[in-house]
Amino acid sequence: MGELANQIVQGVLVGGLYAMYAMGLSLSVGVMRFVNIAHGDLIVLFSFLILALIHATGIGALPATLMTLPIAFVGGYFLQRFLLQRVLGQGVLPIILVTFGLSIIIQNGLLGTFGADTRRVSGGGFETATLRIGGGINIGVLPLTIFIVAILMVLALDWLLYRTRLGARIRAVSDDPATANLVGLPSARVYATAMGIVGVTIAISAGFMSIWTNFDPTAGPSRLLIAFEAVVLGGLGSLWGTLVGGIILGVAQALGAQIDVSWQLLAGHIVFLVIFLARPEGLFPKY
Amino acid sequence: MDALLDITDLSVSYGPFHALGPVSLTVGAGEIVSIIGANGAGKSSLMKAIVGQAGRSEGKIVFEGEDITARTTAQIARAGIALVPEGRRLFPSLTVEENLRIGWEVGRQGAFGFDEIYALFPALAERRTLHVRHLSGGQQQMVALGRGLLANPKLLLCDEISLGLAPVVIADLYRIIPEIRDRGIGIVIVEQDITRSLAVADRFYCLLEGRVNLSGRPTNTNRDEVARHYFGM
Ligand SMILES: Nc1ncnc2c1ncn2[C@@H]1O[C@H](COP(=O)(O)OP(=O)(O)OP(=O)(O)O)[C@@H](O)[C@H]1O
Ligand SMILES: [Mg+2]
Repeated sequence: MGELANQIVQGVLVGGLYAMYAMGLSLSVGVMRFVNIAHGDLIVLFSFLILALIHATGIGALPATLMTLPIAFVGGYFLQRFLLQRVLGQGVLPIILVTFGLSIIIQNGLLGTFGADTRRVSGGGFETATLRIGGGINIGVLPLTIFIVAILMVLALDWLLYRTRLGARIRAVSDDPATANLVGLPSARVYATAMGIVGVTIAISAGFMSIWTNFDPTAGPSRLLIAFEAVVLGGLGSLWGTLVGGIILGVAQALGAQIDVSWQLLAGHIVFLVIFLARPEGLFPKY
Repeated sequence: MDALLDITDLSVSYGPFHALGPVSLTVGAGEIVSIIGANGAGKSSLMKAIVGQAGRSEGKIVFEGEDITARTTAQIARAGIALVPEGRRLFPSLTVEENLRIGWEVGRQGAFGFDEIYALFPALAERRTLHVRHLSGGQQQMVALGRGLLANPKLLLCDEISLGLAPVVIADLYRIIPEIRDRGIGIVIVEQDITRSLAVADRFYCLLEGRVNLSGRPTNTNRDEVARHYFGM
């Protein structure tokens, strides 16, 4: 009994990391209405960037991650402005092809630069610390931190989108880009800013991922799949839904692993499919 | 006196289909110009072409002495032309106040601020935190007009603002038009309803199948003549 409760708690915490992967995707799907196939690869790219920064300067994982945040914002801004924006509004296929191409470029670029080895970033002991809370449940300090940061990210993004002027502009452009232009809002620049914010969420999740899990240049697509499932489960456009979606996947995997280790990933996908068939619009749809 | 807006030989086509033109027209500062015409005459195409949102357009559009033909829609808006589009086109996920604020933020400084708009449309003041989808059609049209006015344009283009509204609501909206003109703003009113728009207009143009077939001052023009040109008889 205690073991089962423990597994569920661990699953919930893993769900926090999944939600973090998914948050940027949730924003780009909900606001700009496209799926970035390179989303997972961008997370892996930033993990390598953090790794390289640590090796080059000897600083810790936290300052290295913080240093990548402005790079991620600017990178997201220009990626949208000069590449993705050109193919938006031309149907679903061009944007998928462009981001798919981007995914391949990132993977091969990383392979060429860093090799195929599996990497991990040291969190300086942080990643092994645990809290014993009785009843056979141990909570890792790192997973708990990730979970709390994931909640803070939802709160921050929710505030940004629904309580600030920038958020109103982003929603206006998302509603109707042509009318946004008509009232003088340059929709391309507003979208670019939104993608900059997506970039920041990517860098934050890259920082935590690089400490908690192993990664290699081809690790992106599996992150994309998890993120995509969390977004669809939660309902398009709902950030809280995305968090719940991530938690459901995390718990499903933890329980699946109880049956057999090989069931871990499969259980997550099966739960996704079952819920998707029952509720294609997701649990908390905004649209 | 130079006109505020001076359009020369403007035409619009959608693929092989020729929707408008060539037409030439002018609008002065502090002048109300009415564009009338039946369904499909090309009125909305004319409005969209002015703000750079028509399919493919040719010709020359000069605003305040500057050629704006090649500018982007957002640049034209910031130069001082506000279009209140056909069908209102509000932002559905924004509240009344957020919709208005978008117009105000990107617009210019001028006579219209939130206080003026809420004084003109008290119904909006009570509903400022509501999402626009919860408003009646008339109130939505007030938001669309308010959003345009808050940009403090020098030229206001209104495309069928009375469409689908009750007569009392229309009268309410049209009561405001001369007040706006008296602040020196040029106004273009597009309507299918001849009586209503000619009653407030200083000048008018009648469109038939994309061409101006009659223009002048409502006071000097016989109503039967207008009706005949409107229907192309
Ligand atoms: N995007 C478009 N693509 C193709 N044809 C169009 C398009 N927009 C308008 N048209 C056509 O161009 C012609 C003029 O349309 P427009 O909307 O300018 O007319 P209108 O005078 O505003 O009509 P209404 O009174 O119905 O609003 C019509 O025949 C219409 O079918
Ligand atoms: Mg029209």
